[in-house]
Amino acid sequence: MASPSATTIASPSSSGSGITERRGIPGAQFVEDVQTYLNQIGLDVTSALAVLQERLQQYKLVEMKLLAQQRDLQAKIPDIEKCLDVVATLQAKKGTGEALVADFEVAEGIYSRASIEDSDSVCLWLGANVMLEYSCEEATALLQKNLDNAKASLEVLVADLQFLRDQVTITQVTIARVFNWDVHQRRMRLSPAVKDS
Amino acid sequence: MQQGGGSETEVTWEDQQNINKFGRLNNRFHELEVEIKVAKESNENLEDASNELILTDEDVVRFQIGEVFAHVSKDEVEARIEQMKEVTTKNLEKLEEEKDSVVAQMAELKKILYGKFNDSINLEED
Repeated sequence: MASPSATTIASPSSSGSGITERRGIPGAQFVEDVQTYLNQIGLDVTSALAVLQERLQQYKLVEMKLLAQQRDLQAKIPDIEKCLDVVATLQAKKGTGEALVADFEVAEGIYSRASIEDSDSVCLWLGANVMLEYSCEEATALLQKNLDNAKASLEVLVADLQFLRDQVTITQVTIARVFNWDVHQRRMRLSPAVKDS
Repeated sequence: MQQGGGSETEVTWEDQQNINKFGRLNNRFHELEVEIKVAKESNENLEDASNELILTDEDVVRFQIGEVFAHVSKDEVEARIEQMKEVTTKNLEKLEEEKDSVVAQMAELKKILYGKFNDSINLEED
C-alpha cells in the first residue's frame, strides 16, 4: 500500500485513539477539537478536507483489496470441505468389500462411470502442476490443516476489515466535523451583519 | 453519517467509538442478511431433495459428493440428507440469533447517539 504522505500524519499526541497501525493500515487520527487540529497540521479548511478525502480514497482502495481476499477465502473453504467429504466417503467404503460406483464428468456435460475398489490412497492436486499420492489418513490430515489455515486467515482478514472500517468511519466523521466547523465559522462571521434582516 | 446545519455539539472519543461500533454492527447486519438468505436456500434445497427421495422408486440414487455423483443406496442418502439438514438448521438458528442481537445493539446505540446529537446525526439508511 502506498505510504501516506507526511502531511496526513499529525503528531499522535492529540487523542487516545489507541492503535495507530494494524498490518500496514495506518490508523486514523481522532480529532478532539477542529481548531486545534487545523493549527496542528498547519492547513486551511479546504486543504485539510482534501487531505482527508485523499486518505479516505486510500482506505477505500485497501478495503477493496481486502474484500477480494475475503471472497477468495470464502470460496476456498467450502472447496476444501468438499474434498474432505470425498476422502471420508472413500475411507468409509474401504474394507467393506463394496466398490464405490460413481459417475464423473469427463468433459463438460459428458459423464462416465467409475468403480473405485478398496482404494488406500488418493491423489491431491497441490497446485503448480503437481499432484501427489497420499494415504486417506494423510490426505485428511493435510486437507484439515489447509482448512484450519484458511479459517484462521479469514478470521484475521475479518479483523483487518473491521479495523479498516473503523478508520474509514473516523475519517468520515472528521470530514463532516471539519466541514461543519467551517460552516459554523462562516456563519459566526456573517451573523452580526444579517442579524437584523 | 452526516452532521447537518453547522451545529456545534462536541464529539468525544467515546462518541466516535460508539459511531464506529454502530458502523461495524450495521455492516455485520448486512452480511447476516445475505448469510441467512443463503442458509435458507440450502435448507429448502435439502427439503426438496428429501421430498423427491420419498417419491422415487429407485433403490440406488446418485448423490453428489464433491464433483462426482456417487451411487448410494436410498436409505443412506436419506440419512445423509437428514444429517445435513440438521447442520444447516442449526446454522440458520445461530445466524438468526446473531441478527437479533445485532439489531438490539444497534437500537441501543441509536438511543445513545440520537440522545446526544439529535438530528445532527443520521443513522438510517437512505
